[in-house]
Amino acid sequence: MALDRGRAARDEAAPAPRLTPDWPGWVACATAAVGFFACLVGWLAGGDGFSVPWAPSLDLHLSFRLDGLGAIYGLLATGIGALVFAYGTRYMTLHLEHERRGAVERWRFWPWMLLFAMAMVGLATAQDLVLVFVFFDLTAVCSYYLIGFDRSDSKARTSAVMALLVTVVSAVAMLIGAVLLYAAYGTFAIPELIERVGPSETTTVAAALIAVAALAKSAQVPLHFWLPRAMAAPTPVSAYLHSAAMVAAGVLVIGRVHRLLERSELVMTGLLVIGALSIVVGGVLALRRDRLKQVLAYSTISQYGYMVLLYGMGSSTSNGAAAFYVMAHAVAKSALFMTAGAVTMATGEDRLSKLGGLGRRMPVLAVASAVAAASLAALPLTIGFFKDELFFAAAWEEGSVTTVLAVVAAALTLAYIGRFWVTLFLGAEKGQVTERSVVMVAPVAFLAAVTVVGGLVTEPFARLAASAGEVTAGRPVEVDPGYHLELSPENLMAIAAWTLGGLLLAAPRLTTVLSRTLARAGDLFGPRRGYEAMLHGLDRASAGVHGLEVRDLRSSIAAVLVPAGLLVGLAFAATPTDGAFALGHVSGADWVILPLLGLITVVTLVIARSRSRLAIALALSVVGFALAAVYALIGAPDVALVAVMVETMLALVFVAALARLPQEEPDEDRGSVVRKKRRRRDVVAGSIAGLAAFVTVWGFLSKPAAESVSDDHIRLAPEAHGGDVVTAIVADFRGLDTLVEITVLLVAVIGVATLMRRGKTW
Amino acid sequence: MVRRSGRGAAPDSVVRVVARMLPAPSVMVAAALIVKGYAEVGDGFAAGVIVALAVSLTYVAVGADGAEAVLPVLRHAPKIAVTGLLLALASGFFPLVYGEEPVSHQPAPGEPLTKFGKLELFTQLLMDIGVFLLVVGVLVMLLHQFGRLRGEEKS
Repeated sequence: MALDRGRAARDEAAPAPRLTPDWPGWVACATAAVGFFACLVGWLAGGDGFSVPWAPSLDLHLSFRLDGLGAIYGLLATGIGALVFAYGTRYMTLHLEHERRGAVERWRFWPWMLLFAMAMVGLATAQDLVLVFVFFDLTAVCSYYLIGFDRSDSKARTSAVMALLVTVVSAVAMLIGAVLLYAAYGTFAIPELIERVGPSETTTVAAALIAVAALAKSAQVPLHFWLPRAMAAPTPVSAYLHSAAMVAAGVLVIGRVHRLLERSELVMTGLLVIGALSIVVGGVLALRRDRLKQVLAYSTISQYGYMVLLYGMGSSTSNGAAAFYVMAHAVAKSALFMTAGAVTMATGEDRLSKLGGLGRRMPVLAVASAVAAASLAALPLTIGFFKDELFFAAAWEEGSVTTVLAVVAAALTLAYIGRFWVTLFLGAEKGQVTERSVVMVAPVAFLAAVTVVGGLVTEPFARLAASAGEVTAGRPVEVDPGYHLELSPENLMAIAAWTLGGLLLAAPRLTTVLSRTLARAGDLFGPRRGYEAMLHGLDRASAGVHGLEVRDLRSSIAAVLVPAGLLVGLAFAATPTDGAFALGHVSGADWVILPLLGLITVVTLVIARSRSRLAIALALSVVGFALAAVYALIGAPDVALVAVMVETMLALVFVAALARLPQEEPDEDRGSVVRKKRRRRDVVAGSIAGLAAFVTVWGFLSKPAAESVSDDHIRLAPEAHGGDVVTAIVADFRGLDTLVEITVLLVAVIGVATLMRRGKTW
Repeated sequence: MVRRSGRGAAPDSVVRVVARMLPAPSVMVAAALIVKGYAEVGDGFAAGVIVALAVSLTYVAVGADGAEAVLPVLRHAPKIAVTGLLLALASGFFPLVYGEEPVSHQPAPGEPLTKFGKLELFTQLLMDIGVFLLVVGVLVMLLHQFGRLRGEEKS
C-alpha cells in the first residue's frame, strides 16, 4: 500500500511524457491540402459532376457536382481543414501530454477529423436529398466522437450527446421532408425537384422540415444551445467544426435547396425571423461571456444568423452576399478559435478575466488575431468589410426593419469581438506564458494574411460567391464588393454600426446588465430547459415501461402477448371482414386431423391447469408434435419435418432449463392477495392473446385476401429446380432474407457467449 | 447436461449406448437430406438440427465434459459456424461479381442442370451446405455454453 502511494507520488512529480511527432495529424493535414487543390482545380476547370445509380427503383442516385456552392464549402472544409489540422498536430500533442494520455489516443481523433472533412466535401457537392441527409448525419456522428474526445470528462460526454441528439433528431425532419417531396413529385434529386415543385401545402411542410434540420445544424435560435456546450471539445475541433464546417453545413443546405424554400412565403419569413433572433440573442450573450471559446460560440450563433437572414431575404443580392459571408466569416472565426486555443495552451487559462496584456508577449498572435477580429467586425482593409457591405446593401434593399437590424447586428459584433481582443491583448499583464509554439501561431497568421489579401483583392472571392449565389438563386447574381468613398447607404450604415459598437464597447456596465439579464432569462425559460425536461421525461417513461415489462416473468410474457393481441384486434376492427370469415367443410383427411386437434385442445388445458413443470414442458411438446402431424396430413411434409426438428430441440431445451430452476416456488407469495391478482391478470392477458391468435388463423384459413404470394411461390418452385417449396423459398425466392437471418443467428450466439462467458466462444 | 443432484446422477446405460452410436448415422441422415433436398423434403436447416440433436443427446447422456471428450471434433464448432456463414454469404453475393443481383443462382431458372443421382448440382446447394454448417456450429456452441454452466459455477 505504502509502496503504491510512493509510486503514485513519483508519477505525479515526473514531467508529463513527451510524445512523438503527430504524424497521423500531418497525414490528415496533407490529405486535406490535396483535397483543397483538387477542389480548386476542379472548380476552375468548370466544376463537373457525376451520377451513379444507387437504388434506381427509388430514383436514388449518388450524384455529386462541384458547382459554385459546392466549391465554396468544399474549399472551406479542405482549406481551413488543412490549417486547423496542422495547428492540431501541436495542440493535440500538448493536450495529450497535459492529460497524460498516450500517443495512441491520436487514433481516436484524426480519423474522425478526416472523415468529417470528407463528409463535408460530400455534403457540399451532393445533389440528392437522401445523400444530403446521409452526409448530414455522418458529420453529426463524427462531431459526437470529436466533441466527446475527452471521454473521462462527463461534461464533454453530455455535450457530445446533446450535439448529436439536437442535430440528428432534427436531421430526421429533413428526411421526412425529403420523403414528402418524393411522394408528391417522385424524385429525390434536388435539381429536378426545383423544377417540378410548385407552391402547395406539401411544399410548405416539407420546406419547413428541411429548414428545421438546417437551422438546428447552424445552431440557430431556439436550437442553438448545443453549440456553446460543444465548446467542451478540444480547440481544433471547435476551430474547424464550429466555425467553418459543421455549423456551415446547415447554411449550405439552405443555400442548396433555397429555391424549394422560396416556394413557401411562410418558410422564408421564418428564416428572416429566426435569423434576426439568432443575431440578437447570440450577439447580446456574446457580449459578456468570460470563457474565450464561449464568446466565440455565441458569436458563431449570431454570425450564422446573418446568413440565415440573408437567405430569408431571398433576393439575388442577398443570396450572393450569404455565400460571400460564409467565406469571410469562416476564415475569421477559425483564426479566432485557434487564437483562443493558442492562448489557453500558452497560459493554462481560458477566462478573459484571468488574462490580459498578452500583446507584448505574443506579438505575432496579437496582430494576426487583430486582423481576424477586425474582419469579423467588418473594419476596412479586411475581407470582412465587404461581407458587411454586401449585407448592408441587401438589408437596405429589403426595407427599414432589416436596415435597423443590420446596423444593430454589426454594432453588437464590433462590441463583443472588440472586448474579446482588447481584454486579451491590451491592458495590464495577467497570466503566465509558458508554452510557445510556431505551429500554433502560423495558421492564424496565414488566415490573417488571407483576410488582408481578401480585403485588397476581392475579385476571386467575389467570383466564387457569385457562382455560388447563382446556384442558390437559379439566375446570374452580381457580387461586386469594392471601396466606394461616397455617402452610399452601405457606408452610412457601416459608420453608424461602428459608432454604436464603439459606444457599447465603452459602456461595459450597460452591456453587462443586458447580457446577464438575457442569459438569466435563457437559463430560466430557454430551450435548453425544454431539451433537458424532454430527455428526463423520455428517460422516466422508458424506465417506467421497462419496469412494467421486466417486473417478473409473467409481465415479460404479457408485454409481448397483450400488445400483439391488441394490435391484431385493431387490425381486425379496421379491416372490412364482412363475409370473409367462413366455416369450411369437413371431408377426407380432415377426419384424421380433427382428433389430433382435439388432443391439442386437451393438452392445452392440461398445460393451463398443471402445477408440475416437467408435465407442462412435456405437454407443450405433445402440442408441437401433434401440430407437426397436422402439417404432414394437410400436405406440407417439409413444414412438418422442420416442426419435428424444432419441437425436439425445444423439448430438450425446456428440460435442460427446468433442471436449473429451483425446485420450489418462493414461499412468500404463495396464496397471497398479490398472487391471486396476478392469476386474474394472467387469465386476461392469455385470453386477449388467444383470441387474437384464433382470429388471425381463422382469417388466414378463410383467405380473405384473394391473391397471395404463396401461390406464386408454389407455381415457380419447379422452374427454380425445386421440388420442395420451402427449400426453394429459403434458398432462392427469399434468399436475401435467409442470408440476413443466418448472420443474425451467428451474431446472437456471439451475444450468448459474451453474456455467459465473456466472449469465449469455446 | 441434465443431472439432478438428488436421485440417479447418470442416465441409464441404454441412453448412453444410443448416444454413443447416434452421431455417425445422424450425419448420414443429414447428408441425405441435403442431397435430395431440392427434389424432395428437407434442407440444410433440418439437416443441421438433426446432427445437433444427436450431439445434444450425447451431452445429455455423458455430460458436457464427457461429450466433448468423446467427440473432440466439437471444439471446432465456432470455426464450422463461421465457415458456414461465409460460404452461404459468398454463394449469395457472388453474382454481384458478374453484375447480377444477389442470390441469383446458377444455372438460372428453367435452364438444364447436371444431376448426380438425386443430387442436383447448382449454387443453391452451396448455400444449403453453408446453412447446414452454420446451424450445426451455432447449436453446438449453444450446447457448450449452457451445458458447461453448472460445472463452471462449481469451480
